[in-house]
Amino acid sequence: MSDESGRTLVLTVPDWPAVAAAVEHDIAPGRPVAVLHAGKVIAADAPARAAGITAGNNKRAVGYRCPEAHIAVWDEEADNRHFSAGVGALDNLVARFTLLSPGTLAIPLDSLRHGYADEADAVETLVSALVDDTGWEFFPGIADTVFAAVLAAGQARRVEPGQTVDFLSAQPITTLEYAGAEATALIEVFLQLGLRTLGDLARLATKDVNARFGAFGRHLHDLASGRAGAPLADHVRGEQLDVELDLDAPTTRSDTLGFLARQLGADLLAKVRRQALVCTQITIELDAAGGQSSSRTWRIEDMQENAIADRLRWQAEGWLAGVGRGSPPGQNPRTAQPDPQELDIVDEPAPDAEDFSDDGIIALRLIAAELTTPIGATRSLFDENTGQITHTLERLQGLFGPDAVLVPGIQGGWDPAETNLWTPWQQAAVPERSPAAPWPGALHAPRPTTVEHSAVDVLAADGSPVEARPSGLGAAPATIRFPTGQTETITDYSGSWPIESGWWDPNRAVYRTRLQVVTDAGRALLLSKEHGQWYLTGRYR
Amino acid sequence: MDVMSAAPVIEQLSRETGISTAAALFDKIPPHPVDPVLSPLFRRGGLPRGELVTVTGELSLSCGLATIAAATREQKWCAGIGLGEPSVSSIADLGVDLDHFVNLATPGEDWLRVASILIESFDIILVDPGFAPSASERARLLAKIRERRMSLISLRPLSGSTEQIEITDTRWSGAEHGHGRLQSCLVRARSQTGTHRFLLPGPSGTPASVPAGTLEVVADGGASIAPTTDLGTDPATDTDDDPRWSTITQLRQVISHVG
Repeated sequence: MSDESGRTLVLTVPDWPAVAAAVEHDIAPGRPVAVLHAGKVIAADAPARAAGITAGNNKRAVGYRCPEAHIAVWDEEADNRHFSAGVGALDNLVARFTLLSPGTLAIPLDSLRHGYADEADAVETLVSALVDDTGWEFFPGIADTVFAAVLAAGQARRVEPGQTVDFLSAQPITTLEYAGAEATALIEVFLQLGLRTLGDLARLATKDVNARFGAFGRHLHDLASGRAGAPLADHVRGEQLDVELDLDAPTTRSDTLGFLARQLGADLLAKVRRQALVCTQITIELDAAGGQSSSRTWRIEDMQENAIADRLRWQAEGWLAGVGRGSPPGQNPRTAQPDPQELDIVDEPAPDAEDFSDDGIIALRLIAAELTTPIGATRSLFDENTGQITHTLERLQGLFGPDAVLVPGIQGGWDPAETNLWTPWQQAAVPERSPAAPWPGALHAPRPTTVEHSAVDVLAADGSPVEARPSGLGAAPATIRFPTGQTETITDYSGSWPIESGWWDPNRAVYRTRLQVVTDAGRALLLSKEHGQWYLTGRYR
Repeated sequence: MDVMSAAPVIEQLSRETGISTAAALFDKIPPHPVDPVLSPLFRRGGLPRGELVTVTGELSLSCGLATIAAATREQKWCAGIGLGEPSVSSIADLGVDLDHFVNLATPGEDWLRVASILIESFDIILVDPGFAPSASERARLLAKIRERRMSLISLRPLSGSTEQIEITDTRWSGAEHGHGRLQSCLVRARSQTGTHRFLLPGPSGTPASVPAGTLEVVADGGASIAPTTDLGTDPATDTDDDPRWSTITQLRQVISHVG
């Protein structure tokens, strides 16, 4: 890529999390706002900074310095949502742009060259349009690479063509935090080696950096020496395209629903086509007369109204059929292990079986969940026979229902029952718990191969149930009795280890003791004790 | 066996299985690759294609998943039928590429129907059959497997299989009677190639070979409990029930003598 085509304009809103929090909580302008994440301030707006609040302060320090400041908890989702909504004005002004992170966007300058006389003119037009539209303050920065332009935007300056390397070499090495959280450890090492500016790093030979710090180190070296990386993916207009249909009378008949869905799907696809876009994922929402609703997101490779109608029919049938099942009586819903088939149903309150089946579905809504340009939706030539696989699996979904074909995924949790995330084929996975969060006490490999959930009795040698205390087991476990009445002798057992979490919130409190046992049949099992009852939670098969 | 006695064997082979030349016997499609620890279990060092393999005994599911792992990493699609709810973290631990694994939560009595649909496009199917198929159903299934050149692994004994892996003994270590946690399991598996010992799962979750030090400890313990130790050391004993395979084995010996 030549220098010319890498030249980028970056527009950034300073202290974006604080601005987003002010928008989210509707705070009057001029009132100090500080945003906390993990107990530390990560962003503060200008009035708050004037009062002496800086990044890294804790909540109490904010209270001392500026008692009237509004303290908001960082909400990544709100950050993204407000930013992509706010920059809608750009859609009409520039052909291509990329949202780098909430609060920062990049525009390749060659896309502006034909519309504006020079760089200054372009920046003035764009910034004034954005400021008029949103009322936020934008800092522009122009340089030959995206990374340099982001740094330049932080100082609101324009780097002349060809001067980028000089500009970068004067910047402190800590600016490499741009490359992500994993860069932090490497920056520490660079500082210990006496590399204080990007120029110090850039002066090292590429092959030495590669040999010592690997691919990631070389990436940082490329950034520091002003070499352009891969081109950015363009931002796709995030319009909310949806269609809605209210039925005159509630229905549970799947043929009626399928017929209506076909028309509705055709309407939605026509709407999407008018925007010169292609829809690759669709969210289907069903409302029941009793007020319950079911929402699922489906990925469909050949998006057409018949495919949409099939998915809607499956979803409605599965939902109506699932209502009768309910949760088994006598089981505390809070401690119940999440059933994989229920994980993907969002916002579904446990409906009451009787009045629900009489009423049926009263409204349908289709939302285009993922839009892309027509070229982006084309399948790669190198994907090996995915078309045939898709065909086979869709046929099985048609025969046995969508929930019969499941693809694996991993979410956060302590036990395999919680980390399991089985999602029906071509539906978007909805993790309930973040895998990135720390899960102290999580089970290490080797982990059980199958997940079970049945109450068992664990007995000591004298036949009394084994107690689990924070200090350990009350007695050595000697036998295990399965619900079928069958018993096996325990030949070996692991130490028991407790998990205690969420004690601050009675709805999320978890106290559980886990134990691995080996029986005389050579079988290894994972047991856990919760609410005074032992459960078989996993089997090493 | 001398060269002359090969003639009737060859005649029998071409009549029974349609194999007319030595090349047809040896230049079959290469098997799917498997983990180096597991490859000695298989006659040809990998999961044979176009054939039915059974993996039985305690830890058969782990062994089956470990067998498919290397193939899924080479973009081969694999489906599981009748496995209950497998734990995703252990599937990943065993080395399976999650992007190429699908689990079918279909009723047990439909397994044959589901399998016959999946055979069309999947490379490997791992099945815990809900019922034993009748002779004609089995013949149709085997013909389909052969035609599509895909591999079917059954976690229960199923006649018509060409290779049988049976895990005869499992020995978990690490629990230490309340002072540790499960670390690894030493298994003894019997297959057409003899008896093998390895760790499944090993300390990191994947299969591992037995460290030199533990071998003798195990040999002591193994002798005391298991009368099955001496079974399966001779490759010919297990194949006797399948005349076709024993003739092929004989023929191979002949050909290797000639070569």
